[in-house]
Amino acid sequence: MPFGIILKRAFRDIRQNLVTHLMTTLVVVLTCLIFVFFNLFSINLQRIADHFGKELAIIVYLKKDVSQEKVPVLYQKIVSIKGIKEVKFVSSEDAFKRLERYFSNEREILAGVDPTFLPPAFEIQIDKALYNPNRVKEIAKEISKWNEVDKVQYGKEWVDRLENFSKMVRTALIFCAALLLVTAAFVVSNTIKLTVYARQDEIEIMRLVGATNGFIMGPYLVASLLQGLLGSGAAVVLAFLAYSYLIKAFGNSSFWESLHLQFLPAENIISIVVVSGLFCTLGTAMALRRFLKL
Amino acid sequence: MIGTEQPIIELKKVSKRYARDILALDEVDLKISKGEFVFLTGPSGAGKSTLLKLLYLAERPTSGSINIEGLDLSGLSRSQIPQLRRKIGVIFQDFKLLHNRSVFENVALSLEVLGFKREQLTKRVKQVIEGVGLGDKLYRKVIQLSGGEQQRVAIARAVVNRPPIILADEPTGNLDRKRTREVVALMDELNARGATIVFATHDETLFRNTHRRVILLENGKIKED
Repeated sequence: MPFGIILKRAFRDIRQNLVTHLMTTLVVVLTCLIFVFFNLFSINLQRIADHFGKELAIIVYLKKDVSQEKVPVLYQKIVSIKGIKEVKFVSSEDAFKRLERYFSNEREILAGVDPTFLPPAFEIQIDKALYNPNRVKEIAKEISKWNEVDKVQYGKEWVDRLENFSKMVRTALIFCAALLLVTAAFVVSNTIKLTVYARQDEIEIMRLVGATNGFIMGPYLVASLLQGLLGSGAAVVLAFLAYSYLIKAFGNSSFWESLHLQFLPAENIISIVVVSGLFCTLGTAMALRRFLKL
Repeated sequence: MIGTEQPIIELKKVSKRYARDILALDEVDLKISKGEFVFLTGPSGAGKSTLLKLLYLAERPTSGSINIEGLDLSGLSRSQIPQLRRKIGVIFQDFKLLHNRSVFENVALSLEVLGFKREQLTKRVKQVIEGVGLGDKLYRKVIQLSGGEQQRVAIARAVVNRPPIILADEPTGNLDRKRTREVVALMDELNARGATIVFATHDETLFRNTHRRVILLENGKIKED
């Protein structure tokens, strides 16, 4: 049967059973909305975590007996490591000056203290473009093996926590996505089943007058595909409106700006819409298979 | 129209058992020629409806073979069933109409499944609906029609694609005398145009004093032919 006729019958069917089709679409909208909000939350959480992670620096404390001549050599060694953006040498004297600035109101605390008591150090900034919590760990581990190095600090706890948090968010996302997909498939397929049950007389009559399974299923599948696409599309639009409202209402505060929030990337939106369309179509096909005893 | 010798429907030792102790049809042998008008009669539970259901493959026989237009139904796959049903127009006692659809839409369904073009479909459907005397109720919803009118819609739907075989399962069971006569007259007319008709009824007045072939079923067996 030509696709044009299937489309015509599908639209006629939607017109004649508008309320049922709207209810099914509403179920799809609500299910997708939950998923979109969750996706939005997890993406931005990841972005915030990454953003703060990128601000981390590695501090390499050298042994006090390291000669001045060694400093440029070590500097070159550090600079040559992949993923490093900036390296700054802080001598014992410079470190002491910083301490003095810090205790500028209580200078007496430092009275009599040897200005070279602090170890010289390198402050390393990680390249944001190449940032990855594992890479920070690796660089710190590599440098700590050098003989001239006394200690390496890189906000280990922070990096570890960040890493764990990222893993947790990803796992939670996959778990919730799977749960939502199963729930969505269940809800949508049951809604469709109810629609099909309500129209089993019609299906029976069509079969009796010699309709093929394709003729019977075609309009249902087209209607389901439309429900899936429109429902998920509406969910994305609603989520975007809510997001835009929040940005408009609170976006001017420095805190919000520092969070660098963003809406779902295009590939996520396309995936949600396509998967929703496919799920609704497959759910309908499965519900109809039982009726048509395929 | 008197049937020719070539059987269009042939049953050989057909039995249908629903449960161990329910034998609806018991080794029925039957031949119906092309163009015949056959009354299938018998008391309730004699197996009339079961026999018709086996002919349009709503059910499969437990044993025996059925041939329609030389086609062995036992070898028919599910996907081939629609092709068979397009050759058979079925009229039911409970009409089996789509009540929220118009007379036109109900009748058009039989042609839509065949992929008729809209213009051709509209012409044929209007013609048939006028033929059953419902030309002025073309776009009325079926639910707004009387029982007799609904039965005529069901007949129009069964014949609109000009099937060679028409099976009528107690089509006058819910109708008064006047409407019953109208339905029988319509069936006569279809038979005169060449359709083979199997008319299941327990109402003897329909075939008494006619020259039609009458098959009497009792307890799943042919008692008289």
